Amino acid sequence: MSSVRPKLKPETPKSITAWETPTGRTVWMDADGNWTPDASRIAVFTGDDAETRLANAIRQEAAVTDPYFMEVTETGAVAGRETLRETIRVNGPTVAYGETV
Amino acid sequence: MYRYDEFDEQMVRERVAQFRGQVNRRLSGELLEDEFKPLRLQNGVYLQLHSYMLRTAIPYGQLSPRKLRQLARVARTFSKGYGHFTTRQNIQFHWVALKDVPAALDLLADVEMHSIQTSGNCIRNTSSDHFAGAARDGIRDPRPWCEIIRQWSTFHPEFAFLPRKFKIAVTAAETDRVAIRVHDIGLHMRLRGDVLGFEVHVGGGLGRTPVIASLVNEFVPEDCLLDYLEAIMRVYNLHGRRDNKFKARIKILVTELGPEEFTRQVEAEYAAQRPNEKIDLPRAEIDRIHAYFKLPDFAEKPETSAVFEAAKAADAGFARWAKNNLHPHIMPGYTSVTISLKPVGGTTGDMNADQMEKAADLSETYGFDDVRVTHTQNLVLPHVALDDLPTIYAELVAAGLATPNEGLITDMVVCPGLDFCTLANARSIPVGQAVQQVFADPDYQEDIGRLHVNISGCINACGHHHVGHIGILGVDKKGEEFYQISFGGRADEKAVIGTITGPGLRSEEVPGALKRVIDTYRSLRTSKDELFIDTLTRLGHDPFKEALYATD
Repeated sequence: MSSVRPKLKPETPKSITAWETPTGRTVWMDADGNWTPDASRIAVFTGDDAETRLANAIRQEAAVTDPYFMEVTETGAVAGRETLRETIRVNGPTVAYGETV
Repeated sequence: MYRYDEFDEQMVRERVAQFRGQVNRRLSGELLEDEFKPLRLQNGVYLQLHSYMLRTAIPYGQLSPRKLRQLARVARTFSKGYGHFTTRQNIQFHWVALKDVPAALDLLADVEMHSIQTSGNCIRNTSSDHFAGAARDGIRDPRPWCEIIRQWSTFHPEFAFLPRKFKIAVTAAETDRVAIRVHDIGLHMRLRGDVLGFEVHVGGGLGRTPVIASLVNEFVPEDCLLDYLEAIMRVYNLHGRRDNKFKARIKILVTELGPEEFTRQVEAEYAAQRPNEKIDLPRAEIDRIHAYFKLPDFAEKPETSAVFEAAKAADAGFARWAKNNLHPHIMPGYTSVTISLKPVGGTTGDMNADQMEKAADLSETYGFDDVRVTHTQNLVLPHVALDDLPTIYAELVAAGLATPNEGLITDMVVCPGLDFCTLANARSIPVGQAVQQVFADPDYQEDIGRLHVNISGCINACGHHHVGHIGILGVDKKGEEFYQISFGGRADEKAVIGTITGPGLRSEEVPGALKRVIDTYRSLRTSKDELFIDTLTRLGHDPFKEALYATD
């Protein structure tokens, strides 16, 4: 949904993230290829495996919306040019809101 | 206020049923996101950073207690207990699940509300002066004409797929409180003798190409207004650019053609309308709509109130609030109250469900069932007796709604920014909060006087940073947030696009830099009566730029 998503090199470690279609909550692909809202279970993919998994994710249209690559470190920490945006997606807004105020 | 007739009711209910079907088809996978996206946007459903967001129309910012309570119910049931009032006088509910949107729309329809045309390339919610009908400087009440424009533009088949979104604002006051000159069409009601008409400004806008609107016609009589608007829309629909999203707004067309040529084409289109094309709104229909906006039966009261004066003398907090948050009313003994949604350290425009219900109660008990949303993200009780102010104030204090800062430096316009928005490049809310903290002292704020700070998290300018006296634009530089400062913008009847000062600042530098600018202003002003924007105009930007980039 970001207006400009950086193109990542094949060897760059990446996770796959999306929005769960019925609820809109943010989800990530885990090592088993399932979608999880738990960012601690982010799986790291590279190369053709990553491309294949993203292509499969895009076909899961009823379950998730707009899957895309998110740059991460080899251990799954958010990395790269979109670090701030993706960190906010992982951790939630950096300001209090609604019932948390 | 306007009440739905059977046609309005049927249209809204049918639209909810239609969208329920579309949502079900999306959830089943029958509709793919690319197919569904334009449908959801036509119903005000965005996909934001963390969740869907439902934008709900509040036509010309007009609410009633019944509607406000229902918004509270939607907030509690489907969001996280709060809503966010926007610069188009609408409300946004974040965190709403797509599967729940039809049920939320059902609740809204129960109180004659909807989310139709809150997104997409169509004519959006018409905005208006939040003091309409109450302000002393208004020649008429603009709301009936806003309602007529709403009815004309809703589902108008010719204007459902414009080159780009389209925004109209209407005022009837000399002081422009709704920023008509930065709208696609800005209408200013004027009188020529007994004839009511509209001064028509076209091609204003913000975003990546900010433009002040051009005056296209000094006086369009009211019975010709809709035909004239159609002529403008037709020229835009025909010649507006559809090949480039960034050049598709009417401001680009007006700029590229030149205001004179654009006006000539509008006049030619208007002259070419055949008699059977003319809308010819019957006088009876105009009168019928005006009747919905009849002012309340005010009691006869003296200009001053002993209760009010005594409370001011006894309570400095009340006196400060009364000084800053009241606006002169047409009737003796009455006033308009601004309920600030800008507590220091809070999130601009946010209101929780309890607060919405409190405002609804106050409106019902003391405010003739009238509540308005301002385009600066506050609420207004337009008709309140001075005698009732001490009680209202006590209730607002208890609800956390008595921030005495209307029009002051902490009364900022701030977009949701990167904390919520997919388009944003930088956060807006934390920067606004940090700036508020520097100016939190109420005495300091009052000493500074009226000053508008506007913050946007990207060039789309939802925080209207171009027209802030001080504008702050968040930009991304290689993954890091920077904030570009502009000076001298204004959205009123003397509208000006602000000028960028120079290199952007890191977020932590912004509050201190603004404090230096403000203290420079305080040292250079001729008196406390000379506002920041006037000192800036008198002296130019250089002393303030120097202060901005100085080191402490």
